[in-house]
Amino acid sequence: MRDQARAIKDETLAHLDRYLEQFAGNAERAGARIHWARDGREVSNIIIELLHERNAKRVVKSKSMATEEIHLNDALEEAGIETVETDLGEWIIQLAHETPSHIVVPAIHKSKKQIADLFVEKIGIEPTDDVDKLTGAARRVLRQRFAEADAGISGVNFGVAETGTILILENEGNIRLTTSLPKIHFALMGIEKVIPRFADIDVFLKLLPRSGTGQQLTTYQSLITGQKKRPEDEGPEELHIILMDNGRSRMLAHPVTRQSLACIRCGACLNACPVYQQIGGHAYGSVYPGPIGAVITPQLIGISKATQLPYASSLCGACREVCPVKIDIPALLLHLRSEIVEGSASGSVDEQGPVKRKFSEHLAFRLYAFAWSRRRLYEWSARIARLFQRAAVRQGRIGKVSGLIAKLAPPLGAWTAGRDARPIAPRTFREQWRADSEIK
Amino acid sequence: MTETSLEARREILSSIREHLAESKRFDTQDVHPPTTARRTTSKSVAGDRDKPVIELFRHALEAVSGHCSIVRTIDEAAQAVQEIVAERKASGPPATAGGSDSHSRRVAVSDSALVRAILGRVKTEAAFLDSPSQAELFDCDVGITCAQWAIAETGTLVLESERERNRLASLVPPVHVAIIEASRIRRSMSEVLELIKKSDVGLSRAVTFITGPSRTSDIELTLAIGVHGPGELHVIVIDEAAPPA
Ligand code: SF4
Repeated sequence: MRDQARAIKDETLAHLDRYLEQFAGNAERAGARIHWARDGREVSNIIIELLHERNAKRVVKSKSMATEEIHLNDALEEAGIETVETDLGEWIIQLAHETPSHIVVPAIHKSKKQIADLFVEKIGIEPTDDVDKLTGAARRVLRQRFAEADAGISGVNFGVAETGTILILENEGNIRLTTSLPKIHFALMGIEKVIPRFADIDVFLKLLPRSGTGQQLTTYQSLITGQKKRPEDEGPEELHIILMDNGRSRMLAHPVTRQSLACIRCGACLNACPVYQQIGGHAYGSVYPGPIGAVITPQLIGISKATQLPYASSLCGACREVCPVKIDIPALLLHLRSEIVEGSASGSVDEQGPVKRKFSEHLAFRLYAFAWSRRRLYEWSARIARLFQRAAVRQGRIGKVSGLIAKLAPPLGAWTAGRDARPIAPRTFREQWRADSEIK
Repeated sequence: MTETSLEARREILSSIREHLAESKRFDTQDVHPPTTARRTTSKSVAGDRDKPVIELFRHALEAVSGHCSIVRTIDEAAQAVQEIVAERKASGPPATAGGSDSHSRRVAVSDSALVRAILGRVKTEAAFLDSPSQAELFDCDVGITCAQWAIAETGTLVLESERERNRLASLVPPVHVAIIEASRIRRSMSEVLELIKKSDVGLSRAVTFITGPSRTSDIELTLAIGVHGPGELHVIVIDEAAPPA
């Protein structure tokens, strides 16, 4: 299945212009309105202008890395539009004025206690440590937001060229609400999200959750093809699909960098990565953390602006092993490192000329030292370690991990001297998910 | 499309073409041959192959915390609906304008003929709302729809918006009851994808795949059910050939 998925992605990317035009044409025939945007600013302008024209002031959003990438919320806020994140994790971090630390589980850095305190302060619930109660409180508050919203903004997981269908996957149901209740639906889609045929949906629907969360399928998939045909039908009156480049088309220039565009944002490489486990999502200082973040951030924002990121890896290869579309992340990192060292190889990514080798692999180790010296990040990494580390042990990568930890023993030792070290939970993330899905 | 959007379109497409052309010099072997439309027979666990689809479906649905009842007739389906509705406590404000009947449950229903036929046989105090407004919908305790297809291997329901008004009734109330005829259960997703694409009403504007109740693991990776969508999912399969209960 992985080979098949990668072959489909490769084929699409090799003819991306054709498939994009086919997608846009078919979506338009079905009644969607298509917009093209070269960068994030153009995306924000399109959305803000349409909202202003319709006198729309309140927007609900479902989780979308593409909107995070372009900081859409900030732009909307500046334009006087109230934006509410509706994915539970995203909403939590929006309440706390923070940023996501994981592409699938954005609030993974926050403990239940922190979330409960936040809810007590911001939405006035009674203190509780019951996850169901916390979730219920969020449901009630967000229901109100859905009812008031003038427009919904979502991302897109896949766009089918053959039919002009957009596909969105989720577990919570907030995407269904975002794309069904408000009168206007905006869908932001990176140009690399196209897949050729309707039948290709099969493989991707199964692959994404299996790699990301260990589920067979996510709870919901919405397949949306254009606009409703009759006024009495359910669903929004307008569907706007925004096709965004924002640095993607230039990644096509080399077979190595082109691979980055096959990423389906499943999060598996984050969960497998020993560096991510140690330093946490925020330490990457970019919207996309983890191995895939280290690879695509420099390409999206310009390599000279993110010279450390390609070094935030021990090149252990765990990410390559787990990736459902077989992206060779270590090869990509080496490629980017060589561009940094030798100056711009492709001529288009590096505007500031060669960056000397002194920004070397040691930076990765400095990242560790940094992380372990900060209390908050320690707690963070302990949580990640607890959740993910056993998987690493089982797959024989612990040698690598413990080697690195050994280097850091002194600061960690000093830190833990006065505190209890957290035990590592007996169950892994994947085991947890599997067990959870068996609960009746 | 605005002037800027047209210009962006031109530029993005030509940037794609230029960069693809640039990469040609690195290509050792040529691009993959176009993949042809193929039926992927999903690798199912040994034994699944021969399992009857209805059994397979029930098993997969229960594995994702859904409830499944298999009945033989519309009357039995009505009985099952009645029981599910009776188990619910009314949560919203009074159903009647006068507010006298403060305990009556509200049920949002789709406009499908099968659902109508079943509800005609349900004896209950509950109020059935067949095209609830958005505000009414938020106060409903149960939503009842059909499912047009089901995928046995994964326990998935497939709802087509061109067949019935099913989008909100299946989503907003805390309990979703879906009714499906046994003949509409298929083994694999690829079969169902083909059916919805070639549907005689055309590919629906919204096709929804539902596999179990709404869930999240956003708080400390602890599973919580029913965060935005229904926390309970009941599927009633009408199978005339089923052995009597
Ligand atoms: S690089 Fe691969 S493993 Fe990482 S998020 Fe993308 S698809 Fe998933």
